[in-house]
Amino acid sequence: MKAKSVLAATVAAMTIVGVSACGGGDGTNADGKTEVVVWMNSTTGDGKKFWEDAAAAFEKEHANVDIKVEAIQNEDMDGKLQTALQDPSSAPDVFLARGGQKLRDVVEAGQVMDLTDKISDQVKTQMKTALDTTTIDGKVYGVPQAVLPGGIWYSKDLFKKAGITETPKTWDEFKTAVGKLKDAGITPIALGGKDAWPAAHWYYWFALRECSQSAFDEASSDMKFTNDCWVKAGDDVKDLLDLDGFNDGFLTTSAQQGASSSAGLLANHMAAMELMGGWEPGVVRDLTPDKKDMADLGYFTFPEMEGGEGDPTAMLAGADGMSVGAWAPQEAVDFLNFISEKEWQEKYAEAFVTIPAAKNAQSVVTNDALKQVLKVYDEASSVSLWLDTVFGQNVGNALNEGVVNMMAGKGNAEDIVKGIEAAANKG
Amino acid sequence: MSVATSMRAKRRGRPRSERFRQRFEMSVLSVPALIMFVGFVILPVFMAAYYGFYRWKGFGKPNVNGQFIGLENYHIILTDPNFQQALGHTLFIAVMSLVIQGPLAILFALLLNQKFKGRGLIRTLIFVPYVVSEVIIGTGWSLMLQPNGAVNAVMKNLGLQGVDWIANPKIAIWTLMFIISWKYIGFAVILMIAGMQAIPEELYEAARVDGAGFWRQQWSITLPLLAPTIRMWAFMSIIGSLQLFDLVYIIWGQYVSSTAGTSTMATYMVREGRLANNYGYGSAVAVVIFIISLVIALAYQRFVLNRDLAGAVEKRERKQLERRIAKRERERMERDEIEEAIAPNNASMEVATS
Repeated sequence: MKAKSVLAATVAAMTIVGVSACGGGDGTNADGKTEVVVWMNSTTGDGKKFWEDAAAAFEKEHANVDIKVEAIQNEDMDGKLQTALQDPSSAPDVFLARGGQKLRDVVEAGQVMDLTDKISDQVKTQMKTALDTTTIDGKVYGVPQAVLPGGIWYSKDLFKKAGITETPKTWDEFKTAVGKLKDAGITPIALGGKDAWPAAHWYYWFALRECSQSAFDEASSDMKFTNDCWVKAGDDVKDLLDLDGFNDGFLTTSAQQGASSSAGLLANHMAAMELMGGWEPGVVRDLTPDKKDMADLGYFTFPEMEGGEGDPTAMLAGADGMSVGAWAPQEAVDFLNFISEKEWQEKYAEAFVTIPAAKNAQSVVTNDALKQVLKVYDEASSVSLWLDTVFGQNVGNALNEGVVNMMAGKGNAEDIVKGIEAAANKG
Repeated sequence: MSVATSMRAKRRGRPRSERFRQRFEMSVLSVPALIMFVGFVILPVFMAAYYGFYRWKGFGKPNVNGQFIGLENYHIILTDPNFQQALGHTLFIAVMSLVIQGPLAILFALLLNQKFKGRGLIRTLIFVPYVVSEVIIGTGWSLMLQPNGAVNAVMKNLGLQGVDWIANPKIAIWTLMFIISWKYIGFAVILMIAGMQAIPEELYEAARVDGAGFWRQQWSITLPLLAPTIRMWAFMSIIGSLQLFDLVYIIWGQYVSSTAGTSTMATYMVREGRLANNYGYGSAVAVVIFIISLVIALAYQRFVLNRDLAGAVEKRERKQLERRIAKRERERMERDEIEEAIAPNNASMEVATS
């Protein structure tokens, strides 16, 4: 009896100690090596392998460093990062950052290392354009790995089947193409509305074509959508809806998960095109039946709008980059410089089927569609970041949802602006 | 004599050390649970209340990286049409769950309480959806209910025109109601069956002897005696509805539930708090949800469940008894007064007659 209660008390006491002992840990591990924790979002395939290979290669050169690569599902990344950043001991040293307001929020909280004087010459010179996305108030807070310009990705076979010989350059040509595809019994456009941003991309692009560059940049910085062109872009979305060219149930279709997602529809020739960013070839590859590159994937830039004030060569793009926590050891920066070298940038491009951020590695791009993207990208009069990235999660999500509402037949362009203002009040 | 005293002394001493030991054990053994409860339930509530006063992005500390705005967050929440809609959907789901599941569950339980072949199998089958995780159910139904999914394919083969079950704002909430009912009815049925089995068979026998038919028996015996079970189930159902999150989140994703008209208070909180990076605002929403749930739960306990809670019956009986005694007292006093009033008359009458 007594022994039992003593035992119970011991167990209870140990539990108390155990609970309070959770957490902790510093920069070094048991072997005395410096530990660098990397959070990236490639959970499968070649992408995951790239990070593991890079870590192993770096460790070989630096025997006293232990790079721990942890794969986090993309949609979980923001939330997990937020929680982890509350305590430097649990936070990763190197983590995915896409620039814009999101990065600014973390920077303003003093949790990202200023890399301006720490990046290598390779990063400074070869990644000059892409570096803009991770530069805030003249200081560099991240190293980009890839540039991801947007545009319309399409299946060459399905276009041929519908009798479309040339990719549409104007909105009228685009409408004709949609009509031809429908006549041929093909779903013209895949859209993953469940994730909101794929729907919103249509609105961004319409605005980019309708607004003059100055009007577009102005709204990007002060969030006031007073110019008429934003309403016009809303009307264009209505016009697009009237074409009735989207896949059935696009509102509850996800963008990238599984064969029934919008990227999956394109990959399996169930839909002819999709408006997406430069990650599309890599995403589509994982969704084809044999998990190989989609052979007939093509690319053309967003069509010109008649009477629009925007430059028809202007582009929207994103960038995937890595930031370093303010508490991270020097080795974390060294690792980023290491994978920015030409060799690893080339491997990155191959693994992710994307355009590397470093100019001297871009020659490795062999994918037809990506070559086309590079061509358009080099000729672009301007490259703007996705609006939701620019605005951050709070206002960006409100903007995206406003577009989704409009596509569901609820509200108009003015309601989008109202939603943005309401969201700005919340945070 | 001396032996007896020492024994008495021992007996008197023992309970005290026993009691002390018991208390000591109780406190030591309950500390881990208490730490868990305070740390993961009580403390977060107060933290949320604290964060709710700030406009804060979730990085660093609210008083350093955020901005104190008093009750501004609460003002925005209560005037936000999206929140009002979410609250409306939540209340709709809470009420409709009771209206749809209650009668159905009782009927099912009546059926499954009869003896027939395959009863065990059907009981299991009806309970299975409740056991399966919400994520699996959400994914399964959302695939089947797609415009080109299994449900519409079956309808097409029957010559019926299918609809967009989950994206159409007019239908979506009813689709959600259907899935919720399908999933949770098994739980209600099991509860009701358990409640029915606790009703003594003699009552039914007596009723039959008195000539009551089947439905009459259910109406006059089963329902009244099942009432405590029904009240308890309704309480759990309401609480479940107030917390509804996973099903909506899985089927409609992070962003389109308000467009489809199926947003709930919890999805609103996650959408505006975590997904929008507004941790101050999100915490304020959590506090509002907490208060709404607390008020509903307390009101239900006070006005509906109070008859079933331990001690309630005795208390009421004691009150009744007291009231009866007081009444009797009053009556006696009144009678005495009347008698007193009558007595002299009688006396005088007696005098008169005599």
